[in-house]
Amino acid sequence: MSQAALQRLKERFPDAVTEAYTGPGGDDVALVKKESIEEVCRFLKSDAETAFDMAPYITAVDYMGSEPRFELVYQMYSTTKNHRLRLRVGVPESDPVVRSVTPLWKGANWYERYCWDLYGIRFEGHPDMRRLYMYEEFVGHPLRKDYSLRGRQPLIPERQVDEPFRGPGPSGS
Amino acid sequence: MSKATETAMHPVPAAASPLDAPFPTKRMLVNLGPSHPAMHGTVRAVVELDGEAVHSMKLDIGFLHRGFEKSCENVTWTQVFPYTDRLNYVSSIMNNVGYALAVEKLAGLQIPERAQYLRVITSELHRMCDHLTLISAMGLELGAMTVLIYGMEARDLIWDRLTELCGARLTSNYARVGGVSRDVPPGWNEKVLRTLDRAEELRVEIDKLLTRNRIVIDRTRGTGVMSREDAIDYGFTGPCLRASGVSYDVRKASPYLVYDRLDFDIPVGTHGDNFDRYLMRMEEMKQSDRIVRQCLEQMQPGPIAADDSRYVLPPKPEVYGSIEGAMAHFKIIMEGIKVPAGEAYAYVEAANGELGFYAVSDGSGRPYKLGVRAPGWNMLMALPQMMEGRLLADLIPTFDTINMIGGEVEQ
Amino acid sequence: MAEETKPAAAAPPKPAPPPGPPPPRNPGRVTFTIDGREAVVKPGTNLIEAAASVGVSIPYYCYQKRLSIAANCRMCLVEMSNAPGGKLMPACQMTAAEGVAVRTDSPKVKEQQRATLEFLLVNHPVDCPICDQSGECKLQDYYMQYNATSSRLDVPKVKLQKRVKLGALVVLDQERCILCTRCVRFMSEIRKNPQLGVDNRGSHSVIATAPGLPLDDRYSGNVVDLCPVGALTSTDFRFRGRVWFLSSARSLCTGCARGCNVFLDYMRDGVYRYRPRENDLVNQEWMCDEGRLSYKPFNDGRVLAARIGKSIAPRAQAVAEAARLLRAQAGQGTLALLASPVASLEDLLAAALLARDGLKLSEIYVGGRPDGWQDDFLRRADQNPNRAGLELVAKAFGLAVKPAADLAAAVASGKVKGVWAVGSELPAPSLAAALGKAEVLVVQATNEGDLAAAATVLLPASPAPESDGTFVNFEGRAQRFELAYWPRGESLPHWGLSAEIGRALGLTSRWASARQLFEDLGRRVADLLHGYEWNSLPSVDRRKGLIPLAAGTVDGRLPGQRERMPLDQSGNVQWNRLPSSREETP
Repeated sequence: MSQAALQRLKERFPDAVTEAYTGPGGDDVALVKKESIEEVCRFLKSDAETAFDMAPYITAVDYMGSEPRFELVYQMYSTTKNHRLRLRVGVPESDPVVRSVTPLWKGANWYERYCWDLYGIRFEGHPDMRRLYMYEEFVGHPLRKDYSLRGRQPLIPERQVDEPFRGPGPSGS
Repeated sequence: MSKATETAMHPVPAAASPLDAPFPTKRMLVNLGPSHPAMHGTVRAVVELDGEAVHSMKLDIGFLHRGFEKSCENVTWTQVFPYTDRLNYVSSIMNNVGYALAVEKLAGLQIPERAQYLRVITSELHRMCDHLTLISAMGLELGAMTVLIYGMEARDLIWDRLTELCGARLTSNYARVGGVSRDVPPGWNEKVLRTLDRAEELRVEIDKLLTRNRIVIDRTRGTGVMSREDAIDYGFTGPCLRASGVSYDVRKASPYLVYDRLDFDIPVGTHGDNFDRYLMRMEEMKQSDRIVRQCLEQMQPGPIAADDSRYVLPPKPEVYGSIEGAMAHFKIIMEGIKVPAGEAYAYVEAANGELGFYAVSDGSGRPYKLGVRAPGWNMLMALPQMMEGRLLADLIPTFDTINMIGGEVEQ
Repeated sequence: MAEETKPAAAAPPKPAPPPGPPPPRNPGRVTFTIDGREAVVKPGTNLIEAAASVGVSIPYYCYQKRLSIAANCRMCLVEMSNAPGGKLMPACQMTAAEGVAVRTDSPKVKEQQRATLEFLLVNHPVDCPICDQSGECKLQDYYMQYNATSSRLDVPKVKLQKRVKLGALVVLDQERCILCTRCVRFMSEIRKNPQLGVDNRGSHSVIATAPGLPLDDRYSGNVVDLCPVGALTSTDFRFRGRVWFLSSARSLCTGCARGCNVFLDYMRDGVYRYRPRENDLVNQEWMCDEGRLSYKPFNDGRVLAARIGKSIAPRAQAVAEAARLLRAQAGQGTLALLASPVASLEDLLAAALLARDGLKLSEIYVGGRPDGWQDDFLRRADQNPNRAGLELVAKAFGLAVKPAADLAAAVASGKVKGVWAVGSELPAPSLAAALGKAEVLVVQATNEGDLAAAATVLLPASPAPESDGTFVNFEGRAQRFELAYWPRGESLPHWGLSAEIGRALGLTSRWASARQLFEDLGRRVADLLHGYEWNSLPSVDRRKGLIPLAAGTVDGRLPGQRERMPLDQSGNVQWNRLPSSREETP
């Protein structure tokens, strides 16, 4: 699907790209080291030949039982070249922090919040690193494989909200 | 008012006389709560209003999060189909088809031609339903309730056809790994053509009511503007991206199923505002109509599912009559189909944009991970930017036209 | 004529012997390749085992590693480079030879596997919906993997008898049988009691006993486990539950002092069956029929609520009452502890600690079940799983061990007025009446019985499936069993009840789980346990993911994984060994 982009990436970052292959159905995939993901993404976005201008679809997979435990998946698309590329970044459980690509694509914002919320992978440099689906007091990261299917969340006290605006009416000023 | 609130107010410029001084206002923090008739799906927006103008907007989602991905990890591959129905519940067949394509990519399955045509026909019919829903809702919220009634009639007719085929109006659960679940009932093709004719009449009526309507144009032209660069940067796809001027449609860019044999056009807009998005959808309905008619002509009789006992249930006479059929049926149902280990990303052009499914298999009968790239997500993410500095009333058509479906955004 | 004597001619030089085989690459071992992977195995290893050692699985029905080779199912045929005429050879029978190349994935082998399955299925009845083996049936599994094509049969199948009661525990369905003869070989080779044989010929062959004679061997239940299809089923488990709803716990049979390793298959909080677990040192892969049925007391006749006298009381209240009575009796010096060797090591450690430190006792009376039958195969006469453990605990705590009859005498003579019974099993029924005469009888019982009925205070106890623990078998071998489901009703394991009584007596109880208890008190018996490790089984709270399913087939597929996932030593999934659909980019 995008052999040229894959080759270009491999040439440019020979040490950051640990493996590159073509998966079932012709998906081109590159395994990238966690430390270089921001650099790689910046190159992929700005380079004229790869030109991955659209915000990627970022998700994570929990391969519990193997090292590294998590794998971040970036599914990239270029509107100008009409080619796709998949990046897989191994994130170990002991250090689940990755540089954020939100400065590059605004659309990566919520995807990274989703990865934090449901997997516990933090993104350095993200403008608004907080949970997306769950409430802030939620305990745990639900999509991890060891998050139990049967269980209860602890009850939390009501959040203190200062100065909610109350309009004209019996309760307002 | 106390001293503290005084400082929060706008500085009051000196005026000629107290009677001419501007009215002191302060910014209001209004909660457009998750339960709100104009917020499609359960989305909470906290808007900071400066009079009628939106100063800033913060979105709070997660009220409809039902744990789609976690649920899918604990059921068999075929049992995921009803879950996918409930993602974009307004056009559910496209979710089914997208997921089926992802699994078939992993398994390396080829599906028969009739199944491909059926998938395309039902997808396009549901695309029309989705667009009708959006346009009806938009009309209703801008005050044109007649449009809602006409749109609902058209949508209901299409749903009747789909009920005859799939068994349900909304949650169709129609596609299967390897094909589709059932063939069309007799006489269905002609009924669909008549339904399309009637839907076209209603569409023309709606067009007449809305497209040159002063109020609609005033409210939607120039509101909710998204520039081309920003749209791509946010990851917009589908009608919203095309309204901003990028002609990207998965059906043309990387044709799947039988789209490469069909003749249809892709509308592309220029302004990237609500009116253009509305026009995209009107035009796409026309194109969907064209596609369905072509498919009905081109479709030949044949099998509706691949002939592979490892993935597709054998026909019932075999299941009851031979041990092989019984065992195949048994293992497929109880353990799930054994999709080879690996990962694949398959995408379709849903009504809202590029709907992608990222499936990871560990070789067992259950998905190891199923991720959804929901098209509505990116548009919703961009909503605060689209609304900043605009009037609160512009929120209504904007929210309508980005077609955020709660089910797919919050999975 | 002079005798001609041939001159002694020099003997013609002997021709050089043909060169011998080259020396093996790994001396003492056999090196060969299977599917391109190199395998190094001991000489004499058959190909199925050798292939398994490098992660290649060859399907088989009639092969069983403890039985003789029959090679009649023809499912394990593989291509070998040293086969005569290019014939496919049965992997169960062929041993690995130096330098041979074996292929199990060539088209010829795949077609053979498909064809063998087709033949096996030709007369197989369409029984999956009513067959117990569904979910753990090798026909189903191999069909999906190696065949997955439709039937070509257009004639009726052979009809045979469907419900032949071979014995008290075993029912035969002759139509489902694929005549692998595993059952026949088991009975004649392992049990040395050839009660099963093959009758008739061809498509009408059936497994049968001698006419009019039942299959009454005391180990007949093992043929049910051995049977790869649903031909031999257990009358006890028949139609009781579907195996994919059952979860498995690694446990020990509590029927006698051997402690056969079992899989305890349970659903929610009821035990459905035992399946033997492989342990070469204890029970190989077998268990006796009586042991197989010994799970029934876990379900029926349980004591689930505490009683004070004849009326039900909340457990806390009963514990308080028991503590009060025990303290009073201990103060007067008339208290005695009756421990049952059915309780686990942890139960007994806790009871001994409380007895010695809290109640100041110096002797422990031993109850337990009466002796049963014994043979030279597996069964022991001592029907208590933990008698050796009880003796170790007594030794570690310095308590003298006395038989229960002495206790009855002491009660009769008035020396002992109060009895604390940990476990209500007694070696003779008359002892219950004798002990019932004591003033105070605090009984911790799992099941109703004579002693429980006579109790002043009855505390509900949980048996083996409801706690982690250790049993020490008659050889002194300590074995771990794991928790299946949480204690039912108000019951607690004996150690939990001892802890509650201890708390009521003012002692601090320090254990929230059996693991903690063992870490705390197990040190005292550790040196007597010959290097026993608590973590020799992972405990259930460390299991990852869902509660594991039971459906394991007799070739030892572990429960918990419906599909064979390669696991490493510590039970983690080895992802990189899964077959994947990636092609490398050049």
